[in-house]
Amino acid sequence: MRLLRLLLCGLLAELLLVTPVLADNTLLLTQSQLSQLQAHGPWPPVIKPDPSNRLSGNAEAIEFGRRLFFSTRLSGDNATSCVSCHAPEDAFASGRVIKNGLLELDRNTLSLFNVRFNRWFGWDGSNDNLWAQSMRPIVSTQEMKLPKQALRKVIRESTFLRSYQHFFGEISAHDDDLVLVNIAKALAAYQETLITKKTSFDKFREAVANKNWTNATQYPESAQRGLSIFLGKGNCSLCHSGPLFSNGEFHDAGVPYFIRPGVVDKGRHQGIIDLKKSPFTLASDYNDDLKKKGAWAVKKVARQHSNFGIFRVPGLRNVANTAPYMHDGSLETLEDVVNHYSDINIERLHADGEAILKPLNLSSQEVADLVSFLQSLSE
Amino acid sequence: MKYLSLLFLSMLSPICNAEKLPIFDAHIHYSHDAVIQVPPAEAASLLRKAGLKKALISSSDDDGTQKIFKAAPDIVVPALRPYRRRGEISTWMHDPTVIDYVEGRLAKYTYKALGEFHAYGDDIETPVLQRIIALAKQYDLLLHAHSDADAINRIFETFPEARVLWAHSGFDRPDEVRAMLRKHKNLWSDLAFRNDQASGGKVPPEWRAAFEEFPDRFMVGTDTFAPERWYYISDHAEYTRGWLKDLPADIAKKIAFENAQTMLSLK
Repeated sequence: MRLLRLLLCGLLAELLLVTPVLADNTLLLTQSQLSQLQAHGPWPPVIKPDPSNRLSGNAEAIEFGRRLFFSTRLSGDNATSCVSCHAPEDAFASGRVIKNGLLELDRNTLSLFNVRFNRWFGWDGSNDNLWAQSMRPIVSTQEMKLPKQALRKVIRESTFLRSYQHFFGEISAHDDDLVLVNIAKALAAYQETLITKKTSFDKFREAVANKNWTNATQYPESAQRGLSIFLGKGNCSLCHSGPLFSNGEFHDAGVPYFIRPGVVDKGRHQGIIDLKKSPFTLASDYNDDLKKKGAWAVKKVARQHSNFGIFRVPGLRNVANTAPYMHDGSLETLEDVVNHYSDINIERLHADGEAILKPLNLSSQEVADLVSFLQSLSE
Repeated sequence: MKYLSLLFLSMLSPICNAEKLPIFDAHIHYSHDAVIQVPPAEAASLLRKAGLKKALISSSDDDGTQKIFKAAPDIVVPALRPYRRRGEISTWMHDPTVIDYVEGRLAKYTYKALGEFHAYGDDIETPVLQRIIALAKQYDLLLHAHSDADAINRIFETFPEARVLWAHSGFDRPDEVRAMLRKHKNLWSDLAFRNDQASGGKVPPEWRAAFEEFPDRFMVGTDTFAPERWYYISDHAEYTRGWLKDLPADIAKKIAFENAQTMLSLK
């Protein structure tokens, strides 16, 4: 009899885990999935200043950074600014082709929303901190095209000089690299303020956490079905994990990476090479944190064969507002992205590589549901 | 002064040789999509740029191998892959039409190996695999097997005189690889797509022991499983030259080039 009771209890527990929740008669997720989705919050996370940047969280410095961010003075042609690729009205993102074709990049422009939470920056992770990443487009010969040697003159001859000297001291005492680092730290302080707001997904998550089933049922059924695929058979949450919906690391998504015939985007492979050569990592003396917290990563990271042509997993918050998608902007819509994974070309993947990727063969209803869920992550 | 210059040059020579260590890349594919995106002349130039002396190349389908062989006959050692498309990796052993395809190619072209093919455990007992092994015997071909240890054992049970190159060394631990090499004298191991045999240019003790016990049985390979990875061949060759410097020069030379040459009777 005792054995029978135990068996029945076991069966009941099993049913609770795998069958849709019936307590409120409406939610379409299993108990296990309702528990699993809690890992995607809370949002926003607790904000802490970046110890590597002495300007982090300083309101005056943030304003200085904002002015720099919107200024064309940081470009060689005095016509391009950070906003050219990261316009606020475009969710601080853009595609690969900028300014109606005047600027064409090799990669899709990542949104700057939530950028402060990254461990690695850019598609290839060639920087381990936001200020170093902020230097890159200024001096890039493909982007803002301002040689670091010219930056000092720009600052000296602009209204930025007063703020610069207020935060960093006499500019004439600084070499070109330090001027660039300082300007980048102000830019980083501003970008740290770009955080997405709570979305309908967050409200659903909180309602579930508080067992407020009335509020939870406000979350659309299609988004619930999509979330169920995201957590379940799609296994999307394995890489798109945590509150940011990204594990912050690098994976093969089965996307071709030729830039043009004869030229490939080496992705994380080149990112690690550049990172190891960079004098501006958290391990450097430019880091304002004497404890050099986080510098272990750049010291320990090592190249692997699988790094060639793989890219950072982007966060999914605000994803509906940041088309196009993938490292090269080759997919125009969220439907395209979902279909890419649904029909993934396993011929492109190594037999012992990204073992979780396999064709999902989603129905058109399932594609629509997954897109509906992704839209619920956007403002 | 002339003698001084000669002395200087002779001192420099071993350094240059060490930097330009010839490489036999024993794991390259040139499949149908690579042929389109990296045309044969470009592919041949990438092999030369990497400083490869030889390369064991197979493709899905085999046309790629024939094309790259034509473009670089001095480098390419052709292997016949039993796939018409890469997607047949997990189904080919149950498809009897594979045999017609393989036999047709063997009748038409010359190869040094069959593979790289994927087969695990009792896949080896299927009629398709049994025929492949019989063809290896008939044509005196090396078998390049992406397999677990069980499958490798079964190949040797089927054909004890087989010569087998174990792709990726089965992704097994070095002690397990050593056990297999002890067990089968005609087994060689490629290190393609593995990272554990060297980190930061240093060979860890467990792998060093494997290389010292079996200096004649290991070789390197890039594994160009997607077309873009042809542009990794050069990086891979440099990476290989880098970590091989951590081994005694005679063992480094064997792993870099000589073992593959001996295995394929190319000397």
